[in-house]
Amino acid sequence: MRFTTFLLAVLHVSGVLALWPLPRSLETGTSALKLASNFDIQVDVAHAPSDLSDAISRTKSFLKNDKLGRLVVGRGAADQSALQKAGSLRTLRLSLAQGSPVRSITDEARLAIGTRSEGYALHIPSDGSSATLTANSTLGLLWGLTTFSQLWYEASGEVYTVEAPVSITDSPAYPFRGFMLDTSRNFFPVADIKRTLDAMSWVKMSQFHWHVVDSQSFPLEVPGYTELASKGAYDSSMVYTAKDVQDIVAYAGARGIDVMVEIDTPGHTAIISAAHPEHVACAQESPWSTFANEPPAGQLRFASPATTNFTAGLISAVSRMFPSSLVSTGGDELNTECYAQDAETQADLKASGRTLEQALDVFTHATHAAIRAQGKTPTVWEEMVLEHNVTLGNDTVVMVWISSANAAAVAAKNFRLVHGPSDYFYLDCGAGEWIGDDVANSWCDPFKTWQKSYTFDPLANISASQAHLVLGGEQLLWTEQSGPENLDSIVWPRAASSAEVFWSGPGGDSNTALPRLHDLAFRMRQRGVKAIQLQPMWCALRPGECNINS
Amino acid sequence: MKLLALAALVLATVHSPVAALWPQPQSVSTGSKTLLLSPAFQITVLGNHVPGDLLAAAGRTKQLLASDKLERLVVGRGAADAPSFRAAKSLARLTLSLSKGAAFATLTSEAQKAPEARDEAYHLVVPEDGSGASITANSTLGLFRGLTTFSQLWYEHGNTVYTVSAPVTIEDKPAYPYRGLMLDTARNFFPVDDIKRTLDAMSWVKINQFHWHVVDSQSFPLIVPGFTELSTKGAYSSSQTYSLADVRDIVSYAGERGIDVMVEIDTPGHTAIIGQAHPDFVACPEASPWATYANEPPAGQLRFVDATVTKFIADLFTEVASMFPSTLFSSGGDELNTNCYDIDAPTQAALNASGSTLEQALNVFTQKTHAALEAKGKTPVVWEEMVLVHNVTLSKDTPVLVWISSANVKAVAETGHKLIHAASDYFYLDCGGGGWVGDFPTGNSWCDPFKTWQHSFSFDPVANLTADEAKLVLGGQHLLWTEQSGPQNLDPIVWPRAASSAELFWTGPGGNISAALPRLHDLSYRLRQRGVNAISLQPEWCALRPDACDINA
Repeated sequence: MRFTTFLLAVLHVSGVLALWPLPRSLETGTSALKLASNFDIQVDVAHAPSDLSDAISRTKSFLKNDKLGRLVVGRGAADQSALQKAGSLRTLRLSLAQGSPVRSITDEARLAIGTRSEGYALHIPSDGSSATLTANSTLGLLWGLTTFSQLWYEASGEVYTVEAPVSITDSPAYPFRGFMLDTSRNFFPVADIKRTLDAMSWVKMSQFHWHVVDSQSFPLEVPGYTELASKGAYDSSMVYTAKDVQDIVAYAGARGIDVMVEIDTPGHTAIISAAHPEHVACAQESPWSTFANEPPAGQLRFASPATTNFTAGLISAVSRMFPSSLVSTGGDELNTECYAQDAETQADLKASGRTLEQALDVFTHATHAAIRAQGKTPTVWEEMVLEHNVTLGNDTVVMVWISSANAAAVAAKNFRLVHGPSDYFYLDCGAGEWIGDDVANSWCDPFKTWQKSYTFDPLANISASQAHLVLGGEQLLWTEQSGPENLDSIVWPRAASSAEVFWSGPGGDSNTALPRLHDLAFRMRQRGVKAIQLQPMWCALRPGECNINS
Repeated sequence: MKLLALAALVLATVHSPVAALWPQPQSVSTGSKTLLLSPAFQITVLGNHVPGDLLAAAGRTKQLLASDKLERLVVGRGAADAPSFRAAKSLARLTLSLSKGAAFATLTSEAQKAPEARDEAYHLVVPEDGSGASITANSTLGLFRGLTTFSQLWYEHGNTVYTVSAPVTIEDKPAYPYRGLMLDTARNFFPVDDIKRTLDAMSWVKINQFHWHVVDSQSFPLIVPGFTELSTKGAYSSSQTYSLADVRDIVSYAGERGIDVMVEIDTPGHTAIIGQAHPDFVACPEASPWATYANEPPAGQLRFVDATVTKFIADLFTEVASMFPSTLFSSGGDELNTNCYDIDAPTQAALNASGSTLEQALNVFTQKTHAALEAKGKTPVVWEEMVLVHNVTLSKDTPVLVWISSANVKAVAETGHKLIHAASDYFYLDCGGGGWVGDFPTGNSWCDPFKTWQHSFSFDPVANLTADEAKLVLGGQHLLWTEQSGPQNLDPIVWPRAASSAELFWTGPGGNISAALPRLHDLSYRLRQRGVNAISLQPEWCALRPDACDINA
C-alpha cells in the first residue's frame, strides 16, 4: 500500500533521478536552486555529539568535491540559463524533534534491531531561504544529510539542483539493511572495509555482517585466543587486531552502521586446527568433498565438553569486542560424515549417551548462553532451525541463505528472519567454478543482476501475521573469487539494490530505478568507490532509450 | 607433435617447483638449487647500435626484479627457503645477445611487422653457479620475450631475491604469431593510463597484439585529423577522447613492449554515432524500436550504398591508417542489419538508381574501403560475417575474426581465409554479467555463462580443421566489450583470465588445467605486485597449497 503512494508521488510530481534509496514520501519542484558559496550546515541541537559534527563535515565535503555533472546529454550545460536567475541556498538547519534524547549517531545505530529511529524530514524551499532537516534522533539526521548530499550536481563551478523545492518525509521499511563480507577466504585490509562502510552509509545501510573467519583463515586477533590468528591467519600482516576492530566498529557507528560479527560454528572451522588440533574433527581430510562443501574439511568437535567450553569462551571474548546487540554463531553446512568417521566424537557421544543432534543442542545452548550473558542476541543460519533439532531462544535471528523459498518455513517457526538468499542476493554467483581441475559454472549460477535483486519480495509466501518477523535483508559477498582487487566492482552498485528494497519497500519499478542507480554509481565513482558501469554511457545519459522495448 | 612436447613439460613440472612461468615455455629444464640475485645484478646487451627501446626494456626488467617483492606461494611464503640462502651462489649478470649474423632493429619495429614475420624465439640459460646468465635470440623481440620470462623466475624473502629452481635452461617460441586482446573503448571510455596498464600486463604474458575497437555506435572518442567533427560531436565529452598525441603515445608504449596495435573502425554497422556529425551518412539513426534495427541501442548504420559515404569512409580509413603503424587494420563488418536499409528512403532510392542489390552495394563499399587500406600498405581484417553471411569479394590474405561461435571456425577456414580465434563461447570476457538492457529484470547475458579461465584454456585452435586448414590459424584473443565495464573493473574482469589465451596461443593447446592453476596463481599475485588488479581465483588457502582445492583432492 505504502509503495503505491510513493511511486505515484515521484512519477507525478518530479523527475528526481538522484535519490537512492528512494524516500518514502517525496515532492519536488522544477526550479533551479544554487548552493551558495558560503553554504553552511547549522545544528540547532544542544550538546551535539561529535559524530554528528563529523557527519556534517563529510556532507559539506561531498557537496564541494562530488563535482557530478547531471546525467543528461550535455551534462548540465543546458541548465546554465536557469541558474542565472536561481536563488542561492545558504543554510541547512538541523534539529531534533522536541523531547528527543541527544545521543551520538553511534549509540543510536547500535540500539537493538527494530528499536532504531531512522526517520527524518527534509525541506528545501526554492527561494533560497533556509532548508530544514528534522528527526527524532541523530541517526535520522545522518540519513537526512545523506539524502541532502545526493540532490546536488555541478556544472561550470556551480553546485545546484533543478528540482527545488524539495520536501521529503522518510523512514525505512525494514530495520536490517545489510551487507555481508567474508574476510576469510581472502583477506581485505582495513581501508577496504572502511571504504565499503562509506558506500554502505551512502545508501543508508544499517548493518555490516562481518563473516570474519572461516575454514580457510582466522584473521581475527581475539584477546585470550591470539593463537588462533597467529597460527590461522594467512600472514601476520593479514590480521585484524583488537585495535583494528575498534577502528572499524567506530568508523561504522559514526556512519549509522552496526557491526554484527559472525564466528561460524561448528562447521567452517578447519583453521582452528592449526592452533588446536584437539578441537577439530576431519581436519583437512581427503577427499574434502566427502567432509565439507569446500576445501579444507574440518569442523569443531562439538560433542566434546572441552571444545564446547573453548568455543563458548571464544564467542564470549569475540562478543566483548563488538558493541552490537547481535552476534552470529553461524551454523550452516554441518557435515555429519566428518563426525561419523571421527573416533573422538564417537567416543564423546558414547560417553554422554547423546545423539549427534542432542550434542549439537548442548553445544548451541552453551555458545548462545555466552552471548546472552552479555545481553546480546544470537543470529544463526537457516539450517539451525530447518535442519537441526536445536532449541533456540525465540528472539534468535535466522538468516535465510540457501533459497528464498525457505523464508516462509523459517517464518512459520516464528523466528525473526533476515533475507540473504543465494538466488537473489549472492554477489559471487555467476563467475564460474573456482575449484581447481574443474570446468564448470558457479553453483549458484547465474549472476544476480541488480534487477533480479530489486524484484525481491520480502513477504512472498509469508502470512500477514508473520510479516512482522521480517527484519530486512542483505546482499552477501563470499570471497572465494574476490579480494581487494574486485571488491568495489563486484559489490557496487549491485548491493544498493537491496538497500532500496529494504528501505523504500519492495515493488519498485526497475525501469524508473535505473536512471537513479546510474546516478548513484556515477556519484560513488566521484567519491572514490569503483562502482561498475551498468550500461554504455550513451544509455546512462538517455533514460529509457536502452530499455528492452524502446 | 606439440602435444608430445607438452608431455615433456608435465614431467618438468613434476621434477621441479617452477610455478612461475606464464606462458609455459616450449622447452624448460630446471634444477632445484637456490640461486640469489646479486644486489649488484646487471643486464648487459652485447653488440653495437643497441636500440634504445631494448635498453629501456632491460631497465624495466631490473626495476621489476627489485620491486616485485613476491614471496613464493607456499605455506610459510618462502620462510622455508631462507636456510638455503647462505650456501647459495649469486647471479651478478644477465647478458643479452643476438645470434650470429642477426642485426639489431628496434623492438618496436620488430613487433610491428606482419604477424607471420615476427621472430619471437629466444634461448635463456641461468647457470646455478652464479656465472653469467644469458639470453640469445634472432631479434630484439626475442630478447625481450626472454627478459619477460627471466623476470618471472624470481621471488623475494627478507630482502633477498632468489630462485630455488636453478639451473634453468629454456628454449622458447610461440605456437601462433597472433596472440591478442581486444578492448572496446566506445561503449564506455578508458583513459590512456588504463590502456597503458593493460599493455603492460599484456606484455608480461607475451601477448603481441592489441586489437583496439576504438569507436562504435555509442561514441566516437578517436580524434582523426581532418575528421575531427566525428569526435567533437560523437565523444562522450571533450575529455573522453584520444588525441593524435594519445594514439602515438599508446602505439609507441605498446611497441616498446612488443605489442602491435590493430585499430578497428567498425563499418558499415556499429556507426550510429557518425550521424551526430553527418546525419546524411547514417540510415535509421536511433530508430525505434532499436531491436528491429540493431543488436543493441542505438540503431544507425552507414548508408553504404551512397558513393559520398563510401568515399568519406575510404578517406577516413586512409587517415586513420596513417595514425597506426601496424600492417593490420580492421574494417569490422559484423552485425549488419538489413531492416535498417529497408526503411531508409535514400538507400532504397540509390539502389533503384544503380540497379544493384544491397549485397552488391556492400561489395562495392567493401572493395573501395579496403582499397584505401591496401593503398596505405595495410592488410584489412574483418569479422566473420563478411565471409559467412555476405557475398563480398575479399582479398585472399584478409584475416577473419571468428566471434559468433567457435562452431563457425571450420566454415571460415573452408573459405581459405586466415583466421583469428575470438569466439564468444570461449573468449568473451563480458559474458555472464547479466543483461544490461533496461527494463528487463529477468535478462541474462546473451552469451551466458561466464567464460572461466579453465574454459578458455581448454580451447582447441584446430578443432575439426584439416592439416591445411590448420595452417590458416594465426592465433586468437580474448575480448572485452564494455557495455558493463569501465576503468573501475577493467583489471578484475580481464586479469588473470586473458592470460589463459595468451598461454594457449604461445605454448599451444592441450595444457592441463590442474598443472596450470598454480602458475596462474603465481602470475596473478605477480600482476598485483606490479599494480594490476588481477582477481583471486581461489581462497589464498588454496593458492598456497597446489592441488589441495582440486575437485577430487
